[in-house]
Amino acid sequence: MSFGAAPRFLASALGVPQDDAIEIPGEDGMIVRSFRFVDLESPVEYFNSWLTPVPHFFVRNHMHEPSQLTAEDWRISVGGEVEKPSTLTLPELLKLEAHSVVNTLECAGNGRGLYRPQVPGIQWGKGAVGTARFSGPRLRDVLQRAGLKSTGRHVMFRGLDEVPGKVPPFIRSIPIEKALDSDTLIATHMNGAPLTKHHGFPARALVPGWIGAASCKWLTEIKLLESEFAGNFMNPGYRLPNQPVKPGDAVKPEDTHAVTALNVKSVIAGPSDGATVRAGSIPVHGAAWAGEAGIAKVDISTDGGATWIPAKLGAEQSRYAWRVWSYEWKAKRGEFSILSRATDTQARVQPQAAVWNPSGYLNNAIDEVKVHVV
Amino acid sequence: MSFERSNSSRPGRFRKWPCGLFLLTILAAVLVLPALPEGPPHARTIEELPAGPMQVKATAACAECHEPRIIVQQRLTKAAWTKEVDKMIKWGALVESADHDALVDYLSANFGADQPPYEAPRSALAKVESKKKAK
Repeated sequence: MSFGAAPRFLASALGVPQDDAIEIPGEDGMIVRSFRFVDLESPVEYFNSWLTPVPHFFVRNHMHEPSQLTAEDWRISVGGEVEKPSTLTLPELLKLEAHSVVNTLECAGNGRGLYRPQVPGIQWGKGAVGTARFSGPRLRDVLQRAGLKSTGRHVMFRGLDEVPGKVPPFIRSIPIEKALDSDTLIATHMNGAPLTKHHGFPARALVPGWIGAASCKWLTEIKLLESEFAGNFMNPGYRLPNQPVKPGDAVKPEDTHAVTALNVKSVIAGPSDGATVRAGSIPVHGAAWAGEAGIAKVDISTDGGATWIPAKLGAEQSRYAWRVWSYEWKAKRGEFSILSRATDTQARVQPQAAVWNPSGYLNNAIDEVKVHVV
Repeated sequence: MSFERSNSSRPGRFRKWPCGLFLLTILAAVLVLPALPEGPPHARTIEELPAGPMQVKATAACAECHEPRIIVQQRLTKAAWTKEVDKMIKWGALVESADHDALVDYLSANFGADQPPYEAPRSALAKVESKKKAK
């Protein structure tokens, strides 16, 4: 029996209105931003563990998932500016030495729905982010087997997304320096299990610390290019204004740059926004991450930002992974605004308000929940 | 706990009964009673846009490639809708020139910046077996 058929009082206690719930195999109580194509957001209350279970991990698809993909027929080619273009089967890829990276993957558009004025795109709240242990061969090992030419300066990824209409294919590239980093992978596994289809089975790029769009799913072609790939999802897609603009203003493509690494950010997993809680000791907890940087501290305010107290950071850490954090709040009765503010090892601090941009990327404003203490 | 204990005449045991009986009743309700009737199953996808003069044409033009839910969640100004419609036409949406402005008006009226926020549904909670595998 699934909880989907549970009596209402149980479903209510679990926080999921089951009468309206949509059955999606392999997914667990996710916020459905879209089903066709699949875009699923994690409720923030799931951010209570260092590793996010796969059924709780957000799913971002730009178009339809491949419908005809099998492990037997799948191939990955390596070509372009290389000495020996080659093609690998899945068993051949799996024979290469595997490496693991715990990485916080965040969609560039996470928090888009919170910008004002709103901008077009999937209206993500705070949960298009998660942390998993990704495993697979290093991309650099695959590239070096093919014999890199000095003219290969960018590495292009093409996935097997099924393109509707005349939509441009989902092809992006990363600079060679990031491609050759020892932590950049062709991931075949997530949290110790083969990738599920929603997460790019049988192989995806894993570009740690960078926006999720860099980590192309259903990877089938790797091509060395002399310059950055020129296509919709590199330009005008996934770009930020070079200078802050007035909210609502348009920006010329030549005045933008590609979005790469993630910002410093924290999110409050509990208590939930709008919750009513009993006075006394209340655990305030969440997660904080900073892309290629580490988290130096997370400060909590329970008085709307007038005073700040450091939270305790969780022991589990890895270079590209978030830190869970917690703070034991001695709460008295009343209405409160709880804020979380992360600072990273590059001294970047979460801002009061994120910098508005026309595509709604990298919203890293200080997080806030309002609670009623009785 | 057993039913025999419930028949105990010892005062101490008797005092514990109401609590035990309550818990047992709850357990029985969960394990034995059928689940309350659920509401109508929520469609995985929204297949139609709201009623209006462009409902049929807008649904046909947009739903060919993606679920109308992607439109329903937007809250955009007329200028932003105009840019989106033009981009989608470039990407293959079949919109006759004569319908362009009416389509922008329809989308702006139904999914404008002044509309109340869209509440996204949730997926069902996973089966217990799936949860165990995830750990």
